[in-house]
Amino acid sequence: MTGDELLAAEFVLGLLEGEELLAARARAQSDAAFAEEIAIWQDRLAPLADTIAPRTPRAELWPRIEAALASESEAAGSESAKIISLRKNLRRWQWAGGFSAAAAIVLAFLALPQLISPGLDTDEPLPAAVQQARLAATMPIEGTSLSLALTYLPEDDSLLVGAVGLAADGVHDHEIWFVPDSGGDLVSLGVVTPGRVVAHDVPERVARTLHEGSQLVLTREPLGGKPPDTAAGPVVAEARFTTI
Amino acid sequence: MRAASTEARERLKAAMLRLAAGERAALEDIYRATSAKLFGICYRILGDEKEAEDALQDVYLTLWRRADRFDPARASPISWLATFARNRAIDRLRSGKARRSAVPESEAAPIADASPLAEAMLIDAEREARVHGCLDTLDETPRDAIRTAFFEGRTYAELAESMGVPLGTMKSWIRRGLAKLKACMEAGE
Repeated sequence: MTGDELLAAEFVLGLLEGEELLAARARAQSDAAFAEEIAIWQDRLAPLADTIAPRTPRAELWPRIEAALASESEAAGSESAKIISLRKNLRRWQWAGGFSAAAAIVLAFLALPQLISPGLDTDEPLPAAVQQARLAATMPIEGTSLSLALTYLPEDDSLLVGAVGLAADGVHDHEIWFVPDSGGDLVSLGVVTPGRVVAHDVPERVARTLHEGSQLVLTREPLGGKPPDTAAGPVVAEARFTTI
Repeated sequence: MRAASTEARERLKAAMLRLAAGERAALEDIYRATSAKLFGICYRILGDEKEAEDALQDVYLTLWRRADRFDPARASPISWLATFARNRAIDRLRSGKARRSAVPESEAAPIADASPLAEAMLIDAEREARVHGCLDTLDETPRDAIRTAFFEGRTYAELAESMGVPLGTMKSWIRRGLAKLKACMEAGE
């Protein structure tokens, strides 16, 4: 059995975790021969699922799904062109970041109110914070085609960190750092939560200096993030903000 | 029986194609025909009724968004959906949305048959698949480990811990088991 055949079997069974899982997932999307090995193992093992006893879900579940479906299509259909183009952007990130569609929608709802309200009445002066640009960065994870999607929302000094395609390996955490232009000490922007989109608070002194081109790095740390009094772990990814 | 099973399968395939073409009503047909099977899978992996319901909702909503991923030339629709549901449930387990509470075997065992007839017919055709016989040719330890990985979504590390062996030992057991499984299945392919 070749290494790839074995890896495909391990991937299909769900034995992998952490960086091995990330790497296999990335290859499944980018390497057709490997994807074919995966499909072969899925076909081989799928009949095992037939030994699982069927279980009828509660009758309330279908109406719940139908309602979720309806509100989703409504949201997609009745809003402005801005939303549609925002969704297109999100879909592009989703591709790059291994985002799930559900996360993209969460992000859309988080981002929308701020997107729509400014500019409706241009006579009214905008609050100072809104005049700062909204920034985004994509941080590729080495050895995979996955990325962290980072979006800075100046309205509330928060950084949305989308790590939906990533899985925790149970041994490490990853911490995001702001690199000051002046070359001073790095400032932590928090520990990544794998599998979710999370809003991180950005300290005000960092928020004031963020601009297009500001640099961020990602380090690998013990669980919980960098312990006090020790040096930060190895840098595993970096990115720069661009204005959106 | 055979003809009825083929018919159920074709009906499901047609509904999947209608869904891919954007027909929302097709989702309800698919749900009626497959929800008991897919809910059984989610429940087996997540071990919790509420989590399994959330996973099942996620499965059908995602199916609606990505119906075009199904390739009728490649897979039987029910196997494809079963694989899809299992993967979504495992993702849920891994992402920490769900904390698995072990399902006692007695509860995971077959329950009173409340499932639609179509379900039973879809399942029967696959029951004699080769994988069952080939798994039985493995030694007990790798066989149990592979089955636990499949049915409970356990990782190498979790399996090693629950069986009290080093990670490397668990990996080599399972890898040897997988090589043997492959050889057996290819002999019949």
